[in-house]
Amino acid sequence: MDQNRSDHMKTRYMPLKASQTKENAKQTGYVDLGLLCIVLILVGFGLVMLYSTSAYNGLIKFQDAAYYLKKQLFATILGVGVMMVVANIDYHFWERFAVLAYIVSLILSGLVLVVGSEINGSKRWLALGPLSFQPSEYAKVAVILFLAFLIVRNVKKMGKIKTMFLIMLSVLPIVGLVGTNNLSTAIIILGIAVILIFVASPKYMQFIGMGALGVGFIAIFLSLESYRLERLAIWRNPEAYEKGYQTLQGLYAIGSGGVFGRGLGESMQKLGFVPEAQNDMIFSIICEELGLVGAVLVILLFLLLIWRLMVIAGNATDLFGALIVTGIMGHMAIQVILNIAVVTNTIPNTGITLPFISYGGTSVLFLLAEMGLALSISSQVKEVSPPKA
Amino acid sequence: MLRNKTYNRKKILIIFICCFLVLGALAGRLIYLMLFQSEYYQEQADALHERERSIKAARGKIIDANGTVLATNRTVCTISVIHSQIKEPEVIISKLSEILGMDEETVRKRVEKNSSIERIKTNVDKEIGDEIRNLGLAGVKVDEDFKRYYPYSTLASKVLGFTGSDNQGIIGLEVKYEEYLKGIDGTILTLTDARGVEIADAGEDRIEPVPGNDLYISLDSNIQKYCEQAAQKVMEQKSADAVSVLVMNPQNGEIMAMVNVPEFDLNDPFTLNTSVDTTGMTEEQKQDLLNQMWRNRCINDTYEPGSTFKIITAASGLEEGVVHLDDQFSCPGFRVVEDRRIRCHKAGGHGGETFVQGIMNSCNPVFIDVGLRLGVDNFYKYFNQLGLLSKTGVDLPGEAATIMHKKDNVGPVELATISFGQSFQITPIQLATTVSSIINGGTRITPHLGVEVKNTGGDPVKTLTYPTKEHIISEETSETMQYLLEQVVKEGSGNKAYIPGYKIGGKTATSQTLPRSAHKYISSFLGFAPADDPQVLCLLIINNPQGIYYGGTIAAPIVKDIFGNILPYMGIEQRFTEEETQENNIGEITMPDLMGKTKEEMQEILKEFELGVSCIGEEGTVTDQFPLAGETISKTSNVIVYLE
Repeated sequence: MDQNRSDHMKTRYMPLKASQTKENAKQTGYVDLGLLCIVLILVGFGLVMLYSTSAYNGLIKFQDAAYYLKKQLFATILGVGVMMVVANIDYHFWERFAVLAYIVSLILSGLVLVVGSEINGSKRWLALGPLSFQPSEYAKVAVILFLAFLIVRNVKKMGKIKTMFLIMLSVLPIVGLVGTNNLSTAIIILGIAVILIFVASPKYMQFIGMGALGVGFIAIFLSLESYRLERLAIWRNPEAYEKGYQTLQGLYAIGSGGVFGRGLGESMQKLGFVPEAQNDMIFSIICEELGLVGAVLVILLFLLLIWRLMVIAGNATDLFGALIVTGIMGHMAIQVILNIAVVTNTIPNTGITLPFISYGGTSVLFLLAEMGLALSISSQVKEVSPPKA
Repeated sequence: MLRNKTYNRKKILIIFICCFLVLGALAGRLIYLMLFQSEYYQEQADALHERERSIKAARGKIIDANGTVLATNRTVCTISVIHSQIKEPEVIISKLSEILGMDEETVRKRVEKNSSIERIKTNVDKEIGDEIRNLGLAGVKVDEDFKRYYPYSTLASKVLGFTGSDNQGIIGLEVKYEEYLKGIDGTILTLTDARGVEIADAGEDRIEPVPGNDLYISLDSNIQKYCEQAAQKVMEQKSADAVSVLVMNPQNGEIMAMVNVPEFDLNDPFTLNTSVDTTGMTEEQKQDLLNQMWRNRCINDTYEPGSTFKIITAASGLEEGVVHLDDQFSCPGFRVVEDRRIRCHKAGGHGGETFVQGIMNSCNPVFIDVGLRLGVDNFYKYFNQLGLLSKTGVDLPGEAATIMHKKDNVGPVELATISFGQSFQITPIQLATTVSSIINGGTRITPHLGVEVKNTGGDPVKTLTYPTKEHIISEETSETMQYLLEQVVKEGSGNKAYIPGYKIGGKTATSQTLPRSAHKYISSFLGFAPADDPQVLCLLIINNPQGIYYGGTIAAPIVKDIFGNILPYMGIEQRFTEEETQENNIGEITMPDLMGKTKEEMQEILKEFELGVSCIGEEGTVTDQFPLAGETISKTSNVIVYLE
């Protein structure tokens, strides 16, 4: 890391507009409006769908149709604020906290195992008075920062298998801690790590070997516990298993959608048939209400988001920024792909939320913070040009 | 500073392309699910969401021979509260308890119960339901429903039957004609959430119910009413256990009245009609009592017919030619059959008598002789031929079968007792039907109530037909039987049923129930009129009368009373023979003109007639008279004369 620059940057952690007045040539004041628009559309659309899916559950459980919407709205407003603030802070500011952030995530993830509050049978939340906080959501951001930091430090040795393994090894503690009660997030974290190492490494062949190794590892992992194999069986034929209920209900919702859907708010499956429709299975309700057209538009929206992130990553002024955005992009991509794949029963069921749309305050808050980071990185891009392959 | 190198960008692009491909594949998966599998999943989902709620079909009416409705439906309401929609619980509690006449605590409990829907009261009158609906209380639901209603409550209770809570017939015609009466329930297809709660604003698919068809029966409520009153009266007078009356058309088997007193209230069929104390009884015992109350003795129970059965013995004997009207018999007061001495009801015996006199006297030895002359084979041949050993096929449920000796076990003693109607049991309907068939010219008819089935609009759906069997005895024998039985009423043991101007045939019976030691009797009379062209047959059975128990003494007068009323009602006119006209002083005169006559002159004129005269005023001339001069009046009328 260029120490001089780092020192220099210290003096200019201030809002974007203010920074424009500074004479620093590197600062162009560019903000990726495309990304911002896509994020805001997703957040707005997410709130609408969240209300649609959660109104029934809110009414039944809390006698308030807007119960979930209110909580999500609060997190979203907070999140947009955080996004704005983060967008206006030079991302290098976070570099020095990378290791600390990672350690904090380890502590919080450990803490949640001890004093976490249980919701729906999972101990994933830390209660802070009236608010609850999900450390695993924070852990994703922390890992992105930490790995970006670590890779930049070891960039010369990235071609070496040893380095790769060491870096992988460094995230295993958090993967282990989070994975204890939230396997899905652990997989996401692992996925982000793999993507970052892949992007940072100049080589290709290693990754083919690594991929093969991963497949083998997954096979062993699945066969270790019989319930994981059962999940596979349910995946292949959800109608034959009682535990296939959620999957099947999701499929009913998707299938009922047809081309144009039942219409916004008209879902039947959200009325208790798809359990907790505002959570992981929200995409199935989108399919039911908005049809194939709506569902494909949502996928396109996410693809646009990932594309913008790719553009920012490709044009980031330095590797640290590029890696952070790549991590964010990986995060988005993995989560969207896994969620839709689960909902459509393309892969076995595992609890993964749909970014910006599924219910979850911590998730939205940190997703927006990540978007803030990406915006901040985009603001230092000199000129935007499509990445050259 | 570390630059973002080309290979980094390349790899980022690779990641993006991977994402693009995977998301594309997922979109493909969605196309597969939402276009090609859509129908399948849609169907599955619909099956999950749809709930069918049935709409009760109105049950068909039961309508008597005059068009009087005997069974119909009444709209009743069910009042319930939907907990989540209640806004003013206190108002609801006070209003409902006031209007429904319920205990406030009970209402409060139900209103405050946290359930999705709670029933407050069922079977509420429509007026009250409307009143509550008009209050417009949020959360209070008034549902309309049909309830079976019998306008004459106890009339022909055991014949009509009643329905259960599911509107299905339980006894009587309601069971027998269930398929015509019940109609087809409609359905409302609604959508429900996962808890099964209906979604209020979801579009409803409705299949309208098809109301049941109306059943037209031969029963005449006027005749039924009169017979019920007569039966009730004699039951009370004789402190009898029960009285049954069966009135039918012997020509076609149409039942005009079927009485089994005590009757019960069809609108409240689960309350006993007696003051039996049921406290401490098991449910089973209570149910037994109810079953007893619901029994239609005319059909469900058998009894020893006694002397009325001599009609069958006589008809068989005549048909077989083993006896003729002028055959001579002698009755010493008993007949010894094998080792048994079988007594006649007249201790001293009837002495020498013809067959005609024998039947008029209801002489047991005469019928023992006839029975023995017939022999077992012949007797049973006629039982079969007359249809006595099978059920009548009446269109009411639970008809009991004849309990007759096995043919192989019938020796002379059994044969002798069968001849005068003892040692076996048949149902009243069987006796009435068999006698009808003997006196109607020899056609075995099927007794029945159902005549026609029509839809709600009055269009015929089905005309009910019943099997008949012709020539079960010859017309000649039939006519002879008509004559013989007319003699019984005219001058024999049935003379208490004699009505001047009507040819009435009949036979009395007094039988002892089993065990004989209990000294309980069944007193009965079977009559029909006109004897030479029977239009109506009436069987009256008094169960366990106290005091005098002879059928000829207590049952015959009741049938006379019934005939005296229903024959004119049926349009059968009195026709007097010369003898009867004189004997009963029957005839008509033209009222003479008495106006202006003195009292003496008036008395002179009226002397010719046997009119009862009342004078208003002491002396003077006639200023007014009633009836007026020239009017045709009965010979025995009373006239009023005003003198001034």
